[in-house]
Amino acid sequence: MMTASILPDGFAPLEAFVDRWALTTSLERSRRRETSSLAEMRDFYEACAPRLKDALAYLDSKRLADFDPMDERLMALCLSLAHVALAVEIQGEAEPENAACRHEMRITRTTAERRA
Amino acid sequence: MNVPAATFRPVSNDEVAMLGTQPIPVGPYHDPDYFALEREAVFKRTWLHIGHISELPGPGSFIVRSVEAARASILIVRGKDDIVRAFYNVCTHRGTELVAQSDGRASSFSCRYHMWTFSDRGELRAAPDFERFFLDKADCGLSKVAVEVAAGLIFINLAPEPEQSLAAFLGPLKAELEQLPCATATALAEYVYEIDANWKLVYDNFQENYHIRFIHPRSIGTATTAPVNPFGYPTRFEFVGPHRKQGLWNNPEHKLGSVQTSAMEPLVGDAMAAGFDALMANSEYFALFPNFFMLNSPLLPFSHTVFPIGPEKSRGVIRFYWNGEDQDATQRFAREYAVASTRDIHAEDRAVIEAGQRGISSGAIKHINFQAQEALCRHFINSVDAVVQAYKAEVALAGVSA
Repeated sequence: MMTASILPDGFAPLEAFVDRWALTTSLERSRRRETSSLAEMRDFYEACAPRLKDALAYLDSKRLADFDPMDERLMALCLSLAHVALAVEIQGEAEPENAACRHEMRITRTTAERRA
Repeated sequence: MNVPAATFRPVSNDEVAMLGTQPIPVGPYHDPDYFALEREAVFKRTWLHIGHISELPGPGSFIVRSVEAARASILIVRGKDDIVRAFYNVCTHRGTELVAQSDGRASSFSCRYHMWTFSDRGELRAAPDFERFFLDKADCGLSKVAVEVAAGLIFINLAPEPEQSLAAFLGPLKAELEQLPCATATALAEYVYEIDANWKLVYDNFQENYHIRFIHPRSIGTATTAPVNPFGYPTRFEFVGPHRKQGLWNNPEHKLGSVQTSAMEPLVGDAMAAGFDALMANSEYFALFPNFFMLNSPLLPFSHTVFPIGPEKSRGVIRFYWNGEDQDATQRFAREYAVASTRDIHAEDRAVIEAGQRGISSGAIKHINFQAQEALCRHFINSVDAVVQAYKAEVALAGVSA
């Protein structure tokens, strides 16, 4: 018996990453990157990066304001991938030593967040 | 697709020799007395970047910003008449800071101490039991601060009567800034850092490329370096009064990662759609006196302002200027990537700047050295020191005549 889906159809392989990577704010995403090992980030990257184009194409078919909770989770995974890809594609083995420096760079607002 | 072969010709030593070639004394980079002079000579009489017009979207919108270098809190309000005004955020009763929020919307501002209430134009509108004062309300308005907008950027000037308008201060750069994304942007992203370093030491890091291959081997790497330009030096320098610019060299053979490509392609598409083709073909970096940078790129449309807090403490504010709120998931993803990738680069600089401050503050060396490709740093200290020395002369003269 299937449990209820937490991501839109076709993205079930990413469901294992929702708890860790579907976050609300850009600051939370940046902090999660800091507290994740490179191995954890590679696992997420390898699952999510090949599906990024499909995920964005699916989400682009809706208005952002019309996203349901499953869409929001998929969007949040894509946004976390933006941070994680920097660790995996660009920083690689230098990721741990640069994490401490990044902690001091606090993201205070982005367009991905609704302002009160 | 054919990629043009990389070519590069550096600015020659002769072209920047007019700035001087001598070592630079370290005093201005740590001395509290010099910082005290800068407060007066630079930060209390120069146009300072403080915000963006999109932060004041409608009548009653306000922002409050700290300018530690002038020990001031500034309230900037768009009035019901649509005019943007700036005031010291100080109640005229007994000097209490008036507004505690950093931004919001209000039709009036009440001091929590004794409920003096000011209008959106800064006039004292009401004060409890006012007949017991020996005052006229018309004389109790908030202290005004000069404020002007250029290219969507809000600037203030703390001089009681600024010596020149913002347009005169910016000169020919104003028209160039008006072509950049910040001029029409309606949405912002921001990240902020504090750093244990003098504001000029922080600022200098971001106006020389000599360090790029050592500090940013991965985050910048071959984007701006290649065998023909191993240090990623600029294509040209330009000096405009106290301001300066550099032309940035981009490596046409640089390869992007897969997710990086998925972010950059929509950013390029958005930039083309907005008519920013010319900007993409000509990378430039503006350094406005005293503490403001703006990259002209519509892909990474960010400014970086370095606010002095003390002789050895500063705050950096990086802001992205976007054309409208996110329209779809792809744009949202691409913008998140743009902010995060720029943040990676700035983060790498922070620790090495603080290490520089510790070394300078130790007194171990009397001078620092700038090579020809650090010409913007030299022009900067020349510009700062010119106004500091002029201020000292002015004070000395006033002392003589007093």
